[in-house]
Amino acid sequence: MTGGARFGDFLDAAHRSLAPRAGEPSPARGDVEEVSRSLLRVVTILGRYTQDTATAFRDVPHLTPAPTSPWSQARAQARDALTNAAGFLLHPAVSRPVWPGAPSASPLARRLDDVAACLAAGRDLLHTHFAPGPQDRVHRSPWARTITSERLNRALLAEVGALAQPIAHYGANVALAPVPGAPAHAGRRRALNAACQWLWVLGASVDAAGRQQPVAAADRDLLAAIPVNALPGRPAPSATGTIPGLCDGVSTTAERLRHLAWRSAQQPPWTPALTVTSLRQAAETSALTSHHCALLAESLAARASQGAFPAASPDLVAAAQAARRAAGAWFQAARALRQVTTDTRGQVTPAAAEARDLAWWTGRLAYADPAWTLASGPSCPPRAPQALAPEPEDLPRVVAAIHHAADGVALLAGTEHHQLRAAAQAGRLLVPTRTLDGDYDIPRPYAPAPSQVTGALLARYRNAAQASRQAAATIGRAACATGAPSRILATAREATRTTGPASPATDRRDEATHPGRDKAGDTAGPLQHALRGLGITSPALLARGADLDKASQRLLIEAADELSPAHSRPPATTLNKTAASAALLNHALASGDPQAAQLLRQPAQADRADPEPEWEPEPEP
Amino acid sequence: MTLLITARDRLQRARGLASVLDAACDAFEDILAVIGAYEETTTSAGTAIAFLLVATQAANGRDAVLFAPSLPPRSLHPRQAPVPPERGSAGKIKASVAGLSLLLASQLAGAATTAGAGADQAACHDAARCARTVHDLLAGADR
Repeated sequence: MTGGARFGDFLDAAHRSLAPRAGEPSPARGDVEEVSRSLLRVVTILGRYTQDTATAFRDVPHLTPAPTSPWSQARAQARDALTNAAGFLLHPAVSRPVWPGAPSASPLARRLDDVAACLAAGRDLLHTHFAPGPQDRVHRSPWARTITSERLNRALLAEVGALAQPIAHYGANVALAPVPGAPAHAGRRRALNAACQWLWVLGASVDAAGRQQPVAAADRDLLAAIPVNALPGRPAPSATGTIPGLCDGVSTTAERLRHLAWRSAQQPPWTPALTVTSLRQAAETSALTSHHCALLAESLAARASQGAFPAASPDLVAAAQAARRAAGAWFQAARALRQVTTDTRGQVTPAAAEARDLAWWTGRLAYADPAWTLASGPSCPPRAPQALAPEPEDLPRVVAAIHHAADGVALLAGTEHHQLRAAAQAGRLLVPTRTLDGDYDIPRPYAPAPSQVTGALLARYRNAAQASRQAAATIGRAACATGAPSRILATAREATRTTGPASPATDRRDEATHPGRDKAGDTAGPLQHALRGLGITSPALLARGADLDKASQRLLIEAADELSPAHSRPPATTLNKTAASAALLNHALASGDPQAAQLLRQPAQADRADPEPEWEPEPEP
Repeated sequence: MTLLITARDRLQRARGLASVLDAACDAFEDILAVIGAYEETTTSAGTAIAFLLVATQAANGRDAVLFAPSLPPRSLHPRQAPVPPERGSAGKIKASVAGLSLLLASQLAGAATTAGAGADQAACHDAARCARTVHDLLAGADR
């Protein structure tokens, strides 16, 4: 992947803003008014993310979970929780957030402002892949389908939950620990605490869904790897001096190709830029790039069997075969293109120009000649396996490069097929009449292509698209086997292909563990806090305190089951009347047991599942 | 390489814009036919792809001539039946196509000077450039 901004950069920055820092005051401190205002900013942006996962990205046909699926419920509960949290924070005493706000003085408020800024920037990054459309949003990049996939939405919701929990912890500490000498602001403290309690409820709902249908670590990695939708700069030819430089050049050019191919496909069929010259260049250079991928995969298979990845060798052998089939399919498509022409010629689309660059970069990597060019041809001696990956740890980098190249070619195959079909439907494909048999008597050198010619040509392109997708998928398996950084491409393709109710996982090896989750802070209960406040250090006494805290936590959660019907149930604010009872309630909610949320919920807020769109068939890629 | 030798002879004998365009169009077609016949039987992916790049340029050259207004609507030397091209070795094909493409480039460049400004001249220039690229590819120079 190239060096542009990625969603994970902003997500990591948000988590880092909440992490304890050596030499800095605890984040669980601050002015209640200021913290409430900053928390409202965070809650607002978290609400927008949750809304995105629930409604805004419904423009893509995909298999959605059943209406009663755990993630669907978690999504609905998260939205309710954030609405309730915002409701408490929008208390008349708290002014509405103003952007840009004045810099906060309190440690926690400052950190929350940072979190809000990071999350807003991250959401902006995701939205660069969409544009407003006449009815719904339209996709502006091949990443859009991935972002809207159910698997990525789950990963995003899991991140929302992971951020909510430490925020709730710190915010509640501010609410329940008045600073000596500061005004009491009892009402505001209660409201802040109640808002934090709803953030715990959010975290517990997401956790519960994650326990039933875990979010795979690969999906979280994929979410973090989503790039900003911008064309990367052309790699400098000076980078060809080293294998890492060549690999970066291949990966960047492939990313540029994906971007430009997508953009070309958005052009109408009558665009003069669609020429046979362009189609031919894209086809011939894709045949060449696929041939290079086959050569490289063969070399890597030999290297893998000698080095650190012997298990990846069969995958690489299969990748070489698949790339060879793709080269053959492109070859046939390019041959078929010789029989036709178009009403405009000469112009080459940026995608076709980039396809040529990709053939050049992959050639420089594949052949031993450091001055290789397209004119040198594909019969030059290939680079030796040892030279391609001198150290075992170099192998994944080269695998990633050919994976990117194959993936770029696969996307190009789809967009070229789409454009060719549109050109055929618009009557833009012509044939030289000299190539027609004597039955045709056409008094000019060219004529509309007969349907048997266009049909055969489109069939070749279908084959090329299918073979290229297959090659990319096979190389993707080799990328996964070697831990190549490009494996997220394989996850992305899988996420847009297969979404749906996963069976409750029992094997949790691949389950994502969140980096920030364990750093949420002290989860000691109120009695332990009180003992520590008294200066007690005896392990026995602290252990008894912990047992009693746990027992009170359990008692409250069990009591939630016994709650009376709504009309006679005390509102949650009653439970928060005193700092002591609020601390007990917080401790129960912080346990992550979704049952504890019943202490806060009114029946009107009973679990509501999202209305889900009907299943729609997968479109032809 | 009879097909290419015949094409070469016709091109050398062609006089006048229409005649050169007609001979050039057929010569590009003949290059495609010879390469196509080789592709049908070869088992060397490397050589096949090398010829693919050459054939693409030949097809681009043919298309450039095809849209020249002075190209006769029908071939001046129509063939009674499609001539099956001989199957030659890669080296022989390379040499024959390289020679023919050099002649094509020269004849088309000459025709461009007599064509006057306009679509005919542009077509001659474009086709001559494609012919030169065919030659360069076979000679191993970068385009």
